[in-house]
Amino acid sequence: MSKSTLLSLEQVLKTCFQSLETNQKVWNSVLLECTPLMGSLGNLGEQLRAFQKVKIANSPLHTFPDLHERLHFKLVQAVDIVLGKLTDKMCSLQQVRDAISNQVSRAFQLYEQNVDTLDLTTVTQRSAITPSIADMLEWLQDSEHYYRQQFLRRKNLFQTLRSDDVSLLETVSQRWESLGSPSGEERLSDIQHKVSFFVESQ
Amino acid sequence: MEVQGFEGTNSGRRTPSAVTGSARKVKDNAADWHNLVLKWDRLNDEGSTIANKIVNLGLSKDSHVNMMMECEETSAPSSSQNAFGNSNELEETCDNLLRVVEKMDHILSKMEKLVSSEQGIINLETFQYGTGGRQIPLFQTWPTSQFAEVSSKLYEAYNQELTLKRAIVQELAHTTNPDLSMVYLSCWLYQPYIDDSVKLLLEGLLLETGHRPS
Repeated sequence: MSKSTLLSLEQVLKTCFQSLETNQKVWNSVLLECTPLMGSLGNLGEQLRAFQKVKIANSPLHTFPDLHERLHFKLVQAVDIVLGKLTDKMCSLQQVRDAISNQVSRAFQLYEQNVDTLDLTTVTQRSAITPSIADMLEWLQDSEHYYRQQFLRRKNLFQTLRSDDVSLLETVSQRWESLGSPSGEERLSDIQHKVSFFVESQ
Repeated sequence: MEVQGFEGTNSGRRTPSAVTGSARKVKDNAADWHNLVLKWDRLNDEGSTIANKIVNLGLSKDSHVNMMMECEETSAPSSSQNAFGNSNELEETCDNLLRVVEKMDHILSKMEKLVSSEQGIINLETFQYGTGGRQIPLFQTWPTSQFAEVSSKLYEAYNQELTLKRAIVQELAHTTNPDLSMVYLSCWLYQPYIDDSVKLLLEGLLLETGHRPS
């Protein structure tokens, strides 16, 4: 097994973990931007619910022409505007997921190309600051899995949203929050800690 | 987006020959429309915040009344004092909303003056060129009468909206139905009578008079 293969593999792993950390920040900031938008959807859901319950024809506003249709249109339009903004956020999340997948698959590609020259001792060998290659590959796979799953869950919820499904709109904020996986996040930061010396080493 | 250069002194820079007489007046009116609508939107946001507060105060007043009824047997002076302070605040907040509506009313009267100004321009042209009006449009394509039509359509929309807001102010603090309160708030915020066609008319007006880059 050549020393240079090992070195280039380690280099790729380093870049991979660095980009993972950057992408994690982007991911979290996009999620943070989604929170108020989900809140707006919940609020609009409440407004639509109240609108459905109230018969404008029997209210003090009954003298206003087409008010029912006009207000309904305005509320649905407001929902559409928020959904449009969320579409952009989903695109950003997808970009993060794709960036991570690409990085991870590049590392695996390099590993597989050289799998014949890497014996078991080499891939499982570790030191105080460098985890073993086998461990690091596993952690990359776990991280990628986490983002894939998170993205699918969130995209799935997003795609079920419709301006005429009031009860879903009302509860979307809580549902969105419940999709988070604290244990998954913990695992990610755990991984970041484990590789921190390795990533910083020259 | 901001309308640029509508002040009398510097707007002539782009098309110095076109902006005199009626064209000058129509162009200034268009800029006035834009500014009045901006002011209206700001007032609408301000009013929306106040209206939300009124509804919340109304709800807490109701819970106070319930509480007082529950503990009527025992002495509850602090509670009644709270309720009293609460209705004072409610009244004050309602006054604030009324003031917003008055300001909107003031804007509407300025809008009305713009409509009559446009009508005046048409009358002047009839006097100058006969019933057919001028042959060459003032700006790009619109005949002079179209400015008056657009102005009066805009005015009608805002007039209807203000009537709705007046009705909301009257009812908002008196309704006990939370759903109805919510509908009032939605109506206030989303302005059902200021629809997309109104925005399109205004944009058309600004584009025609050269306030928007074409």
